[in-house]
Amino acid sequence: MDYLSHIYLPGAVALWSALIFALATMWGYALSLTAPAGDTGALTFARRSYSFFALAIFLTAFVLSMLLMARDFRVEYVFQYSGMDLPGYYQLAAFWAGQKGSFMIWLFWGTMLGLLVRKTTGKSEPAVMGIYTLTLLGLLLILVRENPFVMLSRTPVDGQGLNPLLQDNWMVIHPPIMFIGYAATAIPFSFAMAALWRRKYDGWAARAFPWALGGFLVLGTAILMGGYWAYKTLGWGGYWGWDPVENASFIPWLFGTVLIHGLYMERTKGRYRRANYVLTFLTYISVLYGTFLTRSGVLADFSVHSFVDLGISGWLTLLLGGFMLLGLYLIVTRWKEIPTAPNEDPMLSRGMFLVLGTITILIAAFVITAGTSAPLLTRFMESQSQVGPSFYNRVNLPIAMLVAFLLAFVPYLTWKGNPASEILRKMALPIAFSVIVAVAAAVWRVRDVFHLIFILLAALALATNLQKTIDKYRAGGFKAMGGYLTHVGVGVILLGIIASSGYDQSTKVTLTQGAPKKLDGMTLTFKRFIPRQGREKERMEIEVAGAGRAPFMVYPKLFVNDRTRQTMVNPDIKSSPFQDLYVSPIEFDPGQPRLELAKGQSGQIGDMEVRFVRFNLEMDGNAVAALNAGHSSTVGAELAITKAGRTFNVTPVYRLNPATGTVETPPTSLPGGGTITVAGINTGNGAVQIETTGVASPMKLSIDVTRKPLIQLVWGGLYVVLLGGILTMIQRFRQARVLDRLEA
Amino acid sequence: MKIKKNRIYLFGILLLVAFAGFSFTAFKDSMTPYVSYDRAKEGDRIVQVAGALEKGSYSYAAARESLFFTLQDPKSKQTLRVRYKGLKPANFEDAISIVAIGHYDEKAKEFEANKLLVKCPSKYQGAEVEKTYS
Repeated sequence: MDYLSHIYLPGAVALWSALIFALATMWGYALSLTAPAGDTGALTFARRSYSFFALAIFLTAFVLSMLLMARDFRVEYVFQYSGMDLPGYYQLAAFWAGQKGSFMIWLFWGTMLGLLVRKTTGKSEPAVMGIYTLTLLGLLLILVRENPFVMLSRTPVDGQGLNPLLQDNWMVIHPPIMFIGYAATAIPFSFAMAALWRRKYDGWAARAFPWALGGFLVLGTAILMGGYWAYKTLGWGGYWGWDPVENASFIPWLFGTVLIHGLYMERTKGRYRRANYVLTFLTYISVLYGTFLTRSGVLADFSVHSFVDLGISGWLTLLLGGFMLLGLYLIVTRWKEIPTAPNEDPMLSRGMFLVLGTITILIAAFVITAGTSAPLLTRFMESQSQVGPSFYNRVNLPIAMLVAFLLAFVPYLTWKGNPASEILRKMALPIAFSVIVAVAAAVWRVRDVFHLIFILLAALALATNLQKTIDKYRAGGFKAMGGYLTHVGVGVILLGIIASSGYDQSTKVTLTQGAPKKLDGMTLTFKRFIPRQGREKERMEIEVAGAGRAPFMVYPKLFVNDRTRQTMVNPDIKSSPFQDLYVSPIEFDPGQPRLELAKGQSGQIGDMEVRFVRFNLEMDGNAVAALNAGHSSTVGAELAITKAGRTFNVTPVYRLNPATGTVETPPTSLPGGGTITVAGINTGNGAVQIETTGVASPMKLSIDVTRKPLIQLVWGGLYVVLLGGILTMIQRFRQARVLDRLEA
Repeated sequence: MKIKKNRIYLFGILLLVAFAGFSFTAFKDSMTPYVSYDRAKEGDRIVQVAGALEKGSYSYAAARESLFFTLQDPKSKQTLRVRYKGLKPANFEDAISIVAIGHYDEKAKEFEANKLLVKCPSKYQGAEVEKTYS
């Protein structure tokens, strides 16, 4: 019973009932698999159990949110991630700020998606939903073990607060969307494994296709948001850093990309029938593997934001290993039975190019997986290693070039294969366009031959697909253009990446207040420091002139979080159509420094040189005697100050009342204005700390100024990809519904 | 037709092997192993070293924009003098652990860091604040 007294029961009971209902669901679906035709009792039981399971999960999440809203610090999770000063809005972000909450939100979305998946399964419901529930059960077991409702033995008055870095609008929206994407990868996996298990190899692809597209879109959106967050608010200087946590979401997305092409091939040409089982497997397993890498603590020393070990490595390994074994067992034992169509496509055909494209993206996914796993792979070698961003950039450059090349030709290739002359004739306009773009790039700044070829191919991919999108739109409206539109977006993104990452210019510079400083063609002036106003944090006003436009101001932020004393940085970005000017503060010197001086030592404050001569213990009777007697004791610090060639002496005092513990440090006026104060005495080494006000000491600000050409193309291209994906998904959901009518 | 197809496959396999070789070299080149200070002092390659900032050991030469400090291995208590050319990272003084990536400079008897990863005490499980973006 001791355990029960340390747990918040309403939440825990909901969680435990979820476990019971999940098991009941699986039992029900298992029974209905063997039930004679027409006997739907077990199926009804399973469906009801699933509904109760979903209700229990909903309640679990609801209770956790309520505890956060109520700031109930008895609960450890609330204590760890919330605080009295945390605005209500961010209480939601606290939900998924920690390990347990992240698994909770993942499970929550997975369960809710299951309610929808159930409606799209047709006759395969028992097997698909059985396996799907099994994937949820894995997450649920982790939560039952790492219960988020554990209570502390005392009731703290305040929580530890949410990390200030996470107090951001993006934190409210980015993680939950990411977890919808993660949860969605289990859906095609369940369809595929169920098909293998039941040896019913037809039909699942059509049903899983829209879900695969949906997962791809949601995950893509989440990645886009993460990049935006890193770039716009966190001041990491870029949108992508090949960090393990970033890679952990990107790898499943790449596998998902291959999967949707595989499913497209299966639907249109009956090809990829074996490969698609492997692809659903890879997509789902890579999510589990990424979770294992980033949550088990194996990368703790290597990532900016990996979580430390919570003692769940064992569970994660079990989950990963279990689903890998299940998937591999089903794939291997059924492999020979899966019907296939032989590849008889000629080289210059759409089918062949699709095969090459999928292989290329698969290679990218595996290479990135290998890079991310480097600390694991090198664990047993002489020294544990990680690989830097240079690895990913170097390896992915040729891959991206090949992808662009293949994309450029796909629109005008036919399934049966057509002669090169015909393809080139249709591509005349795009080829002209890409050559112009490449020449323009060479005239601009690009000298690297590989980069020029890259730009040529990316522009070609953009242009041929755009031409085809327009053709398709003219012929059939929005319906048929989705895929090509997505490929237009890929071309645009590739151009944006090469320009903004390969040709950015970054300079670190220290500005003195009011003094203009020239920096390649621009004049930067640090105008003023704007103190905190309400919830608006401290800002720096910097004027930028001569950047090819009228002078404008940028306002990067740099402030110290009240609670954690962490220095926080918010860059300011001035976007123009062709480039972003990215200004990120590094260090701010407020210009009124404290000095700690030992006896005889000197230091500089503004235009004054201050030398600490000695302590004067006889300012108001003997200071030591007064202190011993328990009376108010006064110590003076004799300072010799040299300013504009003249030296004068001042003796500011430090008065301590040992009875009350109060300290008085009256400011002493300086000739020519300003005051000087003894801020403290270091009894350890006999040094004095002094502080000045009103002394001409200019503020200094160090900033990082980066110009990122054409970065808008990265965002714009991603939007185009997502738009194309949405159009395709709507189309595929419609087709899957037709299948239901056929089955009925 | 059959022979032509085989040739295409062969070409594809060769291409794959070439790419695998390329990836492997890129992998080895950009590998920065975590090493002990003794190993780092051999100075033959880019490595990363980690340690705590020895109290009061840092100085910043503003004119040269260079940061000097001493790292101490929490276990062996060995120390390593580090030089970093660049502006002092925010929160540097509060760092609980610093990772320096670079190589050992034999002449200056210092570790020359090209990149610093400053880990600050943080409640967010392992959410260190420093940029790893370069």
